[in-house]
Amino acid sequence: MKTTQLHEFHAETGHMTEFAGYDMPVWYTSTSDEHLAVRNHCGAFDVSHMGRVRVSGQGSGRLLERLVPTDVVSQPTGKAIYTLFLNERAGILDDLIILKMAEEDFIVVVNAANAEADLEHIQEESRGFDASIRDDTASSAMIALQGPDSRRVLQPLTTADLGQLKRFRCQEAQVMGHASAISRTGYTGEDGYEIIVYGATNEQPEAALEVWRGLVQDAKPCGLAARDSLRTEAGYPLYGSDIGKDTDPFVADLAWVLSASRQDYIGGAAVASARDSPPKRIRRGLVLDEKIPRAGFEILDASSATVGRVTSGTFSPILRKGIAVGLVEGSTSDFGTPVKVRIRDSTAPGNIARFPFYDEKLYGWKRQSNGK
Amino acid sequence: MKFKDYEIPDALLYTKEHEWAGGSGGTVRIGVTDYAAKTLNDVVYVTLPKVGAQVAQFKSVGTVESIKAVSEVYTPLSGTVTAVNEALNAHPELVNKEPYGDGWLLEIRPTDLGSESRGLLDAQGYLRHLEATAHKE
Repeated sequence: MKTTQLHEFHAETGHMTEFAGYDMPVWYTSTSDEHLAVRNHCGAFDVSHMGRVRVSGQGSGRLLERLVPTDVVSQPTGKAIYTLFLNERAGILDDLIILKMAEEDFIVVVNAANAEADLEHIQEESRGFDASIRDDTASSAMIALQGPDSRRVLQPLTTADLGQLKRFRCQEAQVMGHASAISRTGYTGEDGYEIIVYGATNEQPEAALEVWRGLVQDAKPCGLAARDSLRTEAGYPLYGSDIGKDTDPFVADLAWVLSASRQDYIGGAAVASARDSPPKRIRRGLVLDEKIPRAGFEILDASSATVGRVTSGTFSPILRKGIAVGLVEGSTSDFGTPVKVRIRDSTAPGNIARFPFYDEKLYGWKRQSNGK
Repeated sequence: MKFKDYEIPDALLYTKEHEWAGGSGGTVRIGVTDYAAKTLNDVVYVTLPKVGAQVAQFKSVGTVESIKAVSEVYTPLSGTVTAVNEALNAHPELVNKEPYGDGWLLEIRPTDLGSESRGLLDAQGYLRHLEATAHKE
């Protein structure tokens, strides 16, 4: 099994599981404690298993615009861009973040499970573009620091002026003396940062371990279970569960990533034709009054007709209720629509809900109390 | 007895599905093992059979559900349910805190204790089962 540069720490203190071929911590103390630490204070996640690909050179921006349906070239340097890789049928190959470090220099961060396929995809499509492609996954570590206290925790350790780094912006900086890239991004719904630490390999992981130990002086180490419950509460899709090759950006409710002006990207023609007709199914949130919906459970309308399927479900530590993401038929997708979920031999009532599931005045990066 | 962080009390009998059975007198108490509780982590719901229900060895009698996953509970022995742990409705976390104590799930009056117990593992057997199957490093 593969390991990250921080494996030594995890193996000592975490409850481990296999994830995307890596031996990763699923929790350290408790999923709900870790979840609540991120919502109320600050948590640190090892996300080094995610793929990091450096794409640079004169043709790098145009190559990326071939690969993703989002505008890249016209974006300012220092922008972090959430986007998708599509196939020709507009099915989603992966969701990813592009960090525009300089005009012709990008970091592409992809899901661990797709990292190999994505790298091949980028390399194949790069023919004819003046772009160099380098896989930095094994030579760097990546840590997500998430929660309302993230800036307070990170600022003393870095040369970056975090007060100047806005949401979805990125920059190079030193963190505890180590060359790093910092973006104000994350996948929990909270404010926070993702830090790529360079010069850290599994053979020489000291730089990564030093930054991690520096952060967890104050931040709570968090495992994959809390990462999943946090992203579900925030309404962020999980590739392979909520979105995939069978969902296009409209079904995935991610049409906001699509460029308003271009369709010269892979899948562009299919996106253009899908745009004309409303999707039959769409990704929606569900809140149940009691019980926990799980992936695969059927979603029923008020007259008990099947109208969809749960794609991921969990217990929300903030709502203290079962929440789910599911693909539901258009007729049932209005917010507030009463639905039922078939759970083993009974059904549990609930409603179609807006993402995020929590009250944005109290939780998440838009909250009114994080001193922005 | 212990495997890694997981407690395995000597006096109990175990299933390969990580339930335990123990007790004296006419009834047997049933719960999930420390390994099951730690693997599930953060139990948030427990569903149990009704008192008086007949249950059959190794058949599902309820569920223990955590934030992350749901797990069926298989009874180690056949019998009649004489009690269920009502405290778990308000405090499901007892399953994590004391899986062999206040986090017990149900009590049954076994119908065939003598022959059915031969299908269960003792602490040593359960330890070996965990060594062979628990997430390897």
